[in-house]
Formats: sequence, structure tokens, C-alpha cells
Amino acid sequence: ILYCGFYLWKMNNMSPEVALHRISPELRPLLCSVVRNGRVGLDSTNCLRVTDLKTGCTSLTPGPCCDRFKLHIPYAGETLKWDIIFNARYPELPPDFIFGEDAEFLPEPSELPHLVQWDAGDPECLLQLVKELIQQYHQYQCQRLRESSRLLFEYDSLLEDPNYGRNMEIYAGRKNSWVGDRIVLVCPSFISIMSSLSQDTALDPGEDVALLSVSFEDAEATQVFPKLYLSPSIEHALGGSSALHIPAFPSGGCLIDYVPQVCQLLTNKVQYVIQGYHKRREYIAAFLSHFGMGVVEYDAEGFTKLTLLLMWKDFCFLVHVDLPLYFPRDQPTLTFQSVYHFTNSGQLYSQVQKSYPYSPRWDGNEMAKRAKAYFKSFIPQFQEGAFANGKL
Amino acid sequence: MAASISGYTFSSVCFHSANSNSDHEGFLLGEVRQEETVSISDTQISTAELLQVVEIHNHDPCAQLFSFYDYAGKVNEDNLNRILKDRRKSVIGWYRFRRNTQQQMSFREQIIHKQLTQLLGVPDLVFLLFSFISTANSSTHALEYVLFRPNRRYNQRITLTIPNLGNTSQQEYKVSSVPNTSLNYAKVIKEHGAEFFDKDGVMKDIRTIFQVYSALQDKVQAVCGEVEQSERVKEKIQEDVNKLKQQIALRKRKTAEEERRLREAQNAESHPTSEENSEPSETSLLSRVAFHAPSAPERPGTSPNPPSYSDLLSQEDSLLSSSSSPTSAALLPRPQAVGSPGHPTPGPLGMGLGLSLGLGLGLGASSNPVPTPSTAYLGNGDGSSSDSLDRQAAGQEDDDDDDDDDDDDDEDSSEYENLVSEAAHLPMVSASVLAQGRPAALSPDGDARGSQTS
Repeated sequence: ILYCGFYLWKMNNMSPEVALHRISPELRPLLCSVVRNGRVGLDSTNCLRVTDLKTGCTSLTPGPCCDRFKLHIPYAGETLKWDIIFNARYPELPPDFIFGEDAEFLPEPSELPHLVQWDAGDPECLLQLVKELIQQYHQYQCQRLRESSRLLFEYDSLLEDPNYGRNMEIYAGRKNSWVGDRIVLVCPSFISIMSSLSQDTALDPGEDVALLSVSFEDAEATQVFPKLYLSPSIEHALGGSSALHIPAFPSGGCLIDYVPQVCQLLTNKVQYVIQGYHKRREYIAAFLSHFGMGVVEYDAEGFTKLTLLLMWKDFCFLVHVDLPLYFPRDQPTLTFQSVYHFTNSGQLYSQVQKSYPYSPRWDGNEMAKRAKAYFKSFIPQFQEGAFANGKL
Repeated sequence: MAASISGYTFSSVCFHSANSNSDHEGFLLGEVRQEETVSISDTQISTAELLQVVEIHNHDPCAQLFSFYDYAGKVNEDNLNRILKDRRKSVIGWYRFRRNTQQQMSFREQIIHKQLTQLLGVPDLVFLLFSFISTANSSTHALEYVLFRPNRRYNQRITLTIPNLGNTSQQEYKVSSVPNTSLNYAKVIKEHGAEFFDKDGVMKDIRTIFQVYSALQDKVQAVCGEVEQSERVKEKIQEDVNKLKQQIALRKRKTAEEERRLREAQNAESHPTSEENSEPSETSLLSRVAFHAPSAPERPGTSPNPPSYSDLLSQEDSLLSSSSSPTSAALLPRPQAVGSPGHPTPGPLGMGLGLSLGLGLGLGASSNPVPTPSTAYLGNGDGSSSDSLDRQAAGQEDDDDDDDDDDDDDEDSSEYENLVSEAAHLPMVSASVLAQGRPAALSPDGDARGSQTS
């Protein structure tokens, strides 16, 4: 199964500005809102893309007069390619659509209020219409699922759960291609986490997203492939793709059981990360208060680093503290560095200490105090080593 | 399903479309008919194929977009009627033209098509999609057209043929069955049609030819009648001839019997006569073969010179019992020798002669006993060969045919003399023949001369 373009948000063949430039002036505002502000579907990180601008006017008409184009819409792990056809000479008229490969998708016009009351003067009209169409498309896919009762059962059961509600995209795979049925949903608890996270971290809930995509290759659900999609910043914040393993879908299991499992895992991870963030901040704060003027610099955003310049018996040295991601579970790395001595390779002489008296249960103050005590005990040793191995 | 559009309609649609600065649409007028093809092959009895043929005769372009439907794609029937007027019943489809788009029915087109199908009551309404593709630098433009029948589930695309558009060097120029609906055309034809057509609408030439044909047929019929009549006449004559032949045969038989009796009676009394007169009397003998006179004909003289024919003639006149013809010479056949001036006209007379002559000498002998080089082969119309002897013997049959005999009389008797002199050149005649044919006065053993009494 290929999921292409899912991470690749803001990847356009041509930048929106170029596309808009070629569009007929009367239609430009409509397209503008679609391309610049348009977020449809669950994957709000993936913008709508516009390609293949063509004109319906005679070839002698001076440009810009493009009035028809292809719109790429991410949906349930696929990309829908819909043709939208305007007439530049009659910009007040509503557009027509060709739904690409979904030749049988024929929405009911009465369900498309923005088509029935098309208002070319409203720049948002096209975007709203596209959203309405996607809603209809979603229903169309659900109808197609009637043929495969398994996923439908899953979908219906999830639908009843208020946690998931309507935040789901269904894609009923095609018989002749190797794309199976797929359901994509937003991990519900994540949304609340995200909002809490956003206050503390640099994560933007509007931009970031975590989606669980479950693909059913066959009707008996023996081949089920779940995948977790996170926006890059979240992924990074959670420690990279390798750090996040979701459990395999149990054969014979149900989504209604599995999804909470995954969400819980994710939640735990996020909680942990958030905790770690707070802990780190606490740690740094404590060190700041304990070492005061001795602090050279520290990471004020992620609180992952701290550098101290200390003196003991006229011996100055630097201490670099690196706080790992899963602090306080993992203890910080202390790097002692001499300000006088160099190594053969021209670097300042340093020693790394990874194990020293430490307990994750200590609070920041305690850690600072203990660290101070440790410095005192370790420095003579370091000094000797510096004098012995380093050059001035 | 097969579909065709006339070349001028197609080009008209293209013209309207290409000249519009936006999408363009209109209606297709024409007719749909069912063609049944029955094919018979060696392997199957017959297969009937039903083919639906769609013919597009004309088109009705819409002046603007959304002229009969609204933003939601709902068709307004009033507007539709206003556009179509009375052409509504000949609508078989509609078309749309849009540049630089895919060859696929769009969302609104599908919705409109469904409604049009219902409103117009055409179950297999067709949709013709024109798509104009231009390359980026406008160097190449392609006009693509696809005919859909969207109301079917499968095989929605139909091939649209344009007659006479293609490689005409390999094909004949096809005359289209599309009716010409042009008013101007109808007017001109009506005006000048009288020169070619008569009041019934049939081409005058045809009528003229038919008249010639009729005349010929009449003549043939008349000739048939004549042939029939002549055949009947011929039939009748043939019957008569046959009857006469029978009579001749009968007479001969009777004569022969009587002669035999007479001879037998004579032989009992006197010794056989010499045959001196056998030769000279041959002629007289033969000429008398047909006679059935009870009394023996008077014997010609025993002089070595055979009597002249004229003597014979005079004698025979007296012998003739049944005829009342003025001259016996008229009844006698006219022998033809080589170089003879005349020849009896072939006809009933000639035929009669030939046949009777043949029969006359048929008594125990072949009908042509004396063919000699010097003797003229007397031909008559019916192909039976006869010679001088034959002709002479048939004198009696000329009773019925008096007409020509008069002519014969006028001729001199030199021919007979020839014949008489040539009688000596008839060696092949068998004695038995002569014996049978001899008049009773002659002795059977051939010594005719010897028996002659002076």
C-alpha cells in the first residue's frame, strides 16, 4: 500500500502564486481561498493543490484566461483529482466537475447548497462547495462499503462512539486495483492533548495532526495494516518515527478495541513527553537558582541543554548538561570541559560522565544539590586528568 | 448501435462550437431506426442481427449556457420547449463542446442527461461530447468527439461515422440516407421537376422507355399469333399429306395384288412374253405403277424405239379413271434432268410429289433405286430424294394439285425425251422391281418384248 503525499504538506507542483497569476482575474479570488486557506478533510496539514490550468476560451484570447484546472484533494490516504470547469467569459456561473476515476460518484445537487445558491462574489464559495462535495463523497464511499460488510461494521461501531464521531474518512477500495478499504481517523484524545501541549511547546494544533490509518486488504480482515501518521513536528517532539511503535492489529480484533489501544499509547507517549518537558524546565530552573552566575547558557525553549562555568580552587571548568528526551527516566549527561587544556586534536579537554549518583524521583532542587555535591567530588579527579592528558 | 452524422451537420456543429468563446451546447435532431440483418451461412440456418442506427440530421445550438437549466442542474421544461419549439419530437440527443477537458461526462451533464431522457421521452438519448485540445504553443489543435449513450450500463461509447469523410480513394462516394430538409432545395426541385417528372412523380424517361417496351411486347405477341396460325396450317397440311400417303400405299397394295392375280391368270394361258420392251417400257411401266386400272393398259409398240412420252401421256389419259383433270400432263410430275430449265417451286406441291414418289417405288424396292450420275437429282423441299422415275410414278397424286400443273404443261416435253433416252441408263433397276411394276401386259420374266402382240 502506498500512501503518497501524506506527509508532504505544502508540496505543490507550482506555487499558488504562479497558478493564480494565470487564472482569469474574475475567478482569482475563488481559487485564492481554496489554495491558500483551504483545508478540507482530516488532514489539515495537506493543502489543496491546483495543477493543469487550461482555458476554455479560444486560443486567440489574450491571457490570463485560464478557467479550468485539476484540484488535488487528500482524502483517506488517497488523493482525489477532480476537474473543475469554469467559463472565463461568464465568471458569474457556477463550475462543473469531473470526478476523475470516480465516474459513478454523482452527488445530489440539493445536498450542495453552495452550488444551488452559487455566489461568485463570495470568495469562499468554491471552497465551501468543495467541502460539501467531499462530504457527499464520504457518504458515497460509505455506500460503497455496503459491499464489504466487515469495514462497515467497524465504521458503524466507531460512529456510535462519541470519541470518534464523524472525524473519520472512509475509502472503499477498488476491486481491480490493489488498494484495499481504508479507514482514517483522528486519534480523539490526541486533540485534547494537543491543545494542552500547544501552550507549553512549540506545537501548533492547527498545523499538527495525528491520524490513524487502518487498511483492510481483504474482506476477512486477515490482512490489516495500521499506520500512524503524525505531522513532522509532533513526530520529532515524540522522539522520531522509531520511537513510536504501535501494536499490530490483532487478527479477529475490532477497531473499536484497537483504536483506543493505539490512542492510549499515543497519549501516554505524549503525556510522557509533556512531563519530560516540565521536568526539564524544572531542572534547569533549579540549576539556575543554585548556580546563579555560573550559568553560561541554557536552552530556553526545549530546556534540553545547560552549560555552567564553575571554579574550584582556582580551577575553572565548564559543565555541559544534556537532558535526554525521556528525562527524568534517563539521567542527563554531564560533560566536564577544561578551559585551559587541549587535546591532541585541538579540542578542549573534556570528560563525559553518564553515570553518577542520580535518581529520577528527585525533584529539580534535589538534583541540583546532588549535582553540586557531585561536582565537588569529581573535580579533583578531572583536574588531574586534565593536567596529565591535556596541553596548555 | 451505429451512429452517423452527415458531414454538413458535423461541420456546422464544429463551426458553432469553435467560434464560441466558452463552452457550447445544443440539441441533436435526427432519427433512430432499427435495422435487422438476416445472414445465412453454411453453418447456421440464419441469424438475425438487430442494429439500432442513429442518424443525426441537424442540430439546434443553444444561444447561451444555462438556457434551459439552473445552477442546480434542474431542467426547466418551459425553456426547453421555447428553445426546441416543434423540433422537440425529432430530438435524439444533445451535445456539448468544451475546450481542454477530459472525454468524460461531467457532473452537471449527467444530471441534465437524466432529466432530458425523461422529459423528451427518448430512452436511448445520446450525448455527443466535443473536446478541443490545444498544445501549449497553439501549434496543434485537436478536435475530439465521442458519442455516448449514458443510459446504458455498458458499452457507453459509440463510434460516430461521418459518411464520405475519410480515405475516399479506396471507397465509393456514399449517398447518405439523410433526408434533405432544406427549403430552398425543395423549391428548386418543385420548379424544375416538371421537366423530368410527370404528374405522378415518375420520371418521364422511365415512362418513355416503358412505352417502347410495351410496343415491343405487343409486336412480339402479334408475331406469336402469326406463328401459331402458320403452325396450325402446317399441322393441317401435314395431316393431309399423311392421309394421302396412306391412300397411296393402299392403292399400291391393291394394284399390286390385282396385277399379280392378272399375271397369274395370264401365265396360265400364254407363255411368258419377251422382255424386249422391258427397257423401253420401263418408263411407261413406271409411269403406270400407280394406276389401278382394271384393264391392262394398252401396250406400246414393240418397236425398239421407245414411244415418246407424249404417246404415253395420251394413253395414260384414257387410263385415268378417277381424275377429271383437263390434261393428264398436268398431273404428271415434271422430271428434272441436268440442265433442265425449270424446277417446280418447292412447296406443298413439291412436297407432295416427293413423298408420293417415294412411296410409289416403295413396293418391294428402295425408294431410290436409280441414282445415276447423269440423272439429275431432283430435290424437293422436304429433303426426300427423288429422281425422274419417282416423279413419273406419282402422276396420280397430282389430282389435288391442279394449280401448278398448268404451269408444267406449258413447258415443252423435251425433258421427257431426255428422260426417255436416259432410261437406257438405268441398269441398276432390278429386274424384280421391274417385274413387279410392269403393266400386266408384260410377262413376269422380263421378256416383255417377246410377249408383245402386234
